[in-house]
Amino acid sequence: MSDKHLSTQFDAELSGISTRVLEMGGLVESQVAQAVSALTQFSGDLASAVLQTEERVNSMEVEIDRDLSSIIARRQPTARDLRLLIAISKTIANLERVGDEAARIARTVQRLINSGVSSRLRLPMSDLAFEADLAVAQLRKALDAFARLDVERALEVLKQDDAIDKEFDGLLRKLITYMMEDPRTISSSIDLVFVAKAIERVGDHAKNLAEVIIYVVKGTDVRHNTPEAVETMVR
Amino acid sequence: MSTSTMSALDAKRLAMHAKRKRVNQIALSLSLAAMAFGVFWLLWILFETVRLGVGGLSLQTLTEMTPPPQADTGGLANAIFGSIVMVGLATLLGTPIGVLAGVYLAEYGQKSWLGGTVRFINDILLSAPSIVVGLFIYSVVVARMKSFSGFAGILALALIVIPVVIRTTENMLSLIPNALREAAYALGTPKWKVILSVTLKSARAGVLTGILLALARISGETAPLLFTALSNQFWTSNLGEPMASLPVTIFKFAMSPYENWQKLAWAGVFIITIGVLLLNILARLLFKNKH
Amino acid sequence: MDAKVDMPVTEKAKLSVRNLNFYYGNFHALKSINLDIPEKKVTAFIGPSGCGKSTLLRTLNRMFELYPEQRAEGQILLDGSDILTSREDVSLIRAKIGMVFQKPTPFPMSIYDNIAFGVRLFETLPRVEMDERVEWALKKAALWNEVKDKLNQSGSGLSGGQQQRLCIARGIAIKPEVLLLDEPCSALDPISTGKIEELIHELKSDYTVAIVTHNMQQAARCSDYTAYMYLGDLIEFGPTAELFMKPKRKDTEDYITGRFG
Repeated sequence: MSDKHLSTQFDAELSGISTRVLEMGGLVESQVAQAVSALTQFSGDLASAVLQTEERVNSMEVEIDRDLSSIIARRQPTARDLRLLIAISKTIANLERVGDEAARIARTVQRLINSGVSSRLRLPMSDLAFEADLAVAQLRKALDAFARLDVERALEVLKQDDAIDKEFDGLLRKLITYMMEDPRTISSSIDLVFVAKAIERVGDHAKNLAEVIIYVVKGTDVRHNTPEAVETMVR
Repeated sequence: MSTSTMSALDAKRLAMHAKRKRVNQIALSLSLAAMAFGVFWLLWILFETVRLGVGGLSLQTLTEMTPPPQADTGGLANAIFGSIVMVGLATLLGTPIGVLAGVYLAEYGQKSWLGGTVRFINDILLSAPSIVVGLFIYSVVVARMKSFSGFAGILALALIVIPVVIRTTENMLSLIPNALREAAYALGTPKWKVILSVTLKSARAGVLTGILLALARISGETAPLLFTALSNQFWTSNLGEPMASLPVTIFKFAMSPYENWQKLAWAGVFIITIGVLLLNILARLLFKNKH
Repeated sequence: MDAKVDMPVTEKAKLSVRNLNFYYGNFHALKSINLDIPEKKVTAFIGPSGCGKSTLLRTLNRMFELYPEQRAEGQILLDGSDILTSREDVSLIRAKIGMVFQKPTPFPMSIYDNIAFGVRLFETLPRVEMDERVEWALKKAALWNEVKDKLNQSGSGLSGGQQQRLCIARGIAIKPEVLLLDEPCSALDPISTGKIEELIHELKSDYTVAIVTHNMQQAARCSDYTAYMYLGDLIEFGPTAELFMKPKRKDTEDYITGRFG
C-alpha cells in the first residue's frame, strides 16, 4: 500500500495479512522445489519433509481466511482495498492447491521408492526437472508481482504460461515413446505423467495469481482471455 | 506492605478536592443566606399585606363606592371597576400592536435598518419611567381635551404594555429554530402562513405569557394614571370622565390621616396583590403546559 | 475547476444542473457544477464536511433564497425548464421538489394536521379524501400502523425515528416529483435508520430521490448513483457499484477507502 489510511490499525491489518500470504507463498514455493528434488534424487526423506510442510500450509490457509473475513466484516472495505482482500482470498486458495500438487508429487516419489523401481530405468528426470524449474520460476515471479503489485511482471507470467504447457506436451510424447519401447516402464511412466501434470498445474496456479494481481491494480477481471487480449485490456 | 500506599497524584487530588469542597460550602452558605434575606422581606411584606388587608375586606368593599373621610360605610367598587376596565382595554389596545411589531422584528426586520431602529426605540421605551408616559399623555391628550379621562388612562397604560409585548413576542419568536420555518417553506408555504400557522403557533405559550405579564405590570401602575385618569369618588362608566382606579385610590387613601381610608387602602393593596399573584401563576402554568 | 464528469447516458435526467456557482457572501461555495440527476433513481451526495453537498441540495429547491447573503448563478433545469429564473412562484416549485431535513421538525399540531397542512396549501379536499390522503402518506412512510389510533395527538409526542418518518410522510403527501433528503438519518438510531433506508428504496419507484449523507456505507447501500464532492467541486459521479468498486479518480478512491488526510 503506497498511501496510508486514516486508521493505522487498518494499515497494520492489511500489511500483516499480505505478509502472511507471501510467507505462505514462500513456503509453498520451497515445497514444490523440495518435491521435485525428492523425485530427481529418489529421496524418501525429502518426500516426507514435503508432506509435513503440507500441514502447515493448510493451517495457514484457514488462519488467513479467518482473518480476512474479520477484516471485511469490521472495515467495510471499498475499491482497491476490497479488491485486494478478494484477491488474497483467491490467492491463498491457489497456493493451497499448489501445496497439494507438491504433496502429490511427494507421495508419488514414496510409491515409486516403495515399489522398488530402480533408478537404472531410463526415465526423463532431467526433462521433468526442467519443467519444474519453469513452474517454480513462474510461481516466484507471480509472488514477487503480488508483493509489489506489479502489473508488468504479472503480464510476463501470463505470457510465459505457454512454455510450461509446451514442456508438458513434450514430456508426454517422450514418456509415451518410453512406454512403447519398454513395457516394464509403463507403471512408473504413468506415475511420471501424473507428476508432470501436477507441475503443469503449478504453472496454471501461478497464472491465476497473475490474473488476480491485475484485478487488484486495474480493477479489470482478465480471466479466460489470451495473453494478447489481456495486454490490450490492461494498456 | 502498607495498606495505604497512595501515589503522589492521589494525594494531590485529595487535597485539591478538600479545598474545592470547602469553597463550595462557603459559597453555598452565602447563597442560602442571601436567599433567606430576600425571602424574609418578601414574606414579611406578604404577611403585613394579608394581616392589614384581610381585616378591611368584606362584601361591602366590593360593592360600595369610595366613601368620604371618616365615613362608616364604603368600599372600593368604583376603583375596582375602573382598574378592570382601564387595564383590560389598555391590554386589548396594546397587544395587537405589540404582537404585530414583534412579528415584524423577528420575521422581517432581523437585519434591516428599520428593524434595528424600532428595536432601539423599543428598548428605550421599555425602560422609560411610567411617570414620563403619564406626563406625555397628559400634555397630548388631557391638556387638549381639557379634562382628565379614563380614555387617557387607557392610552397611558397601553403605551406601557406595547414595549413589553414587543420585546417578549420578538424574543419568543426568535427562540423558534429556523429548522421549523425551513420545513414549512420546503412544503411550499407562503411566508405569512409560515409565520401564522407554524412560527407564531409554536411560540404562542411564550407570547401569551408576555401579554399576561404586561397585564400584571400595568395593573399596579400608579404614576401614569395620576396624570391621566386621575380619580373619581363616584361610580362612572363614561371613559370621557376621570375614573377611579385601585392604585390611585390606594395612594390617596394611604397617605391620608383617616382610619377608614387607611383600612380601605390596605384592602386595595391586598386585592391587587392577589390579582397579580393569580396572573403570574396563570402565566407560569400556561408556559409549563406547552413545554 | 471545470469538472467534466461522465454522465449516465442511458437514464433520463429529472434535474440538470448546469454551470452552477454558489456564493455565501464572497465565499465561493460551489464551483461550476454540472450534473444530471436521473429520474426515479436515488442519487447520493458524499464528501467531507464543507464540500458543498448540502449547499447543492438546498439550491435545488431554492431554499437558499430565505437568506439574503446567499446567491446562486447558473441553471437548474427541472424537466428542461430552469427553476432559478422561473417566473413561477417559488412555493409551486417547492411543491414539486420537497425536502426533508436532518432534524425532525413536526409542526405544533396534531399528526393528522401535520400531514394535511401541506395538502391544504394546494388542494381543497373534502374530509373523506383528505383522510385517505393522510392514510396513504402515512402508509407510504411506514408509519400508519404506529399512529393510526392517535392521529389527533401532537406530532411532538412521537419518537425521533417516528418524527422523521412523519416529516417524510408530510413531504410525500403533496405528491412532489423530487424528494431531497438532507442527512435524514444522522439524528436517528440504527433501527430507525434501517427503516428509513428501506423506505427510500420503496420511494424511488414513484419519486426521484437525492440524498446527502456523511455516512458512506449508507450511500453505498441506498443509492443507484453517487456523486463525490470536495471543496465545492464535483469530483466524480457515476453508478454507485462502480464508484465503490472501481472509482475513476484517485481523489474519490482516497476518500472512500479512508485514506483521506
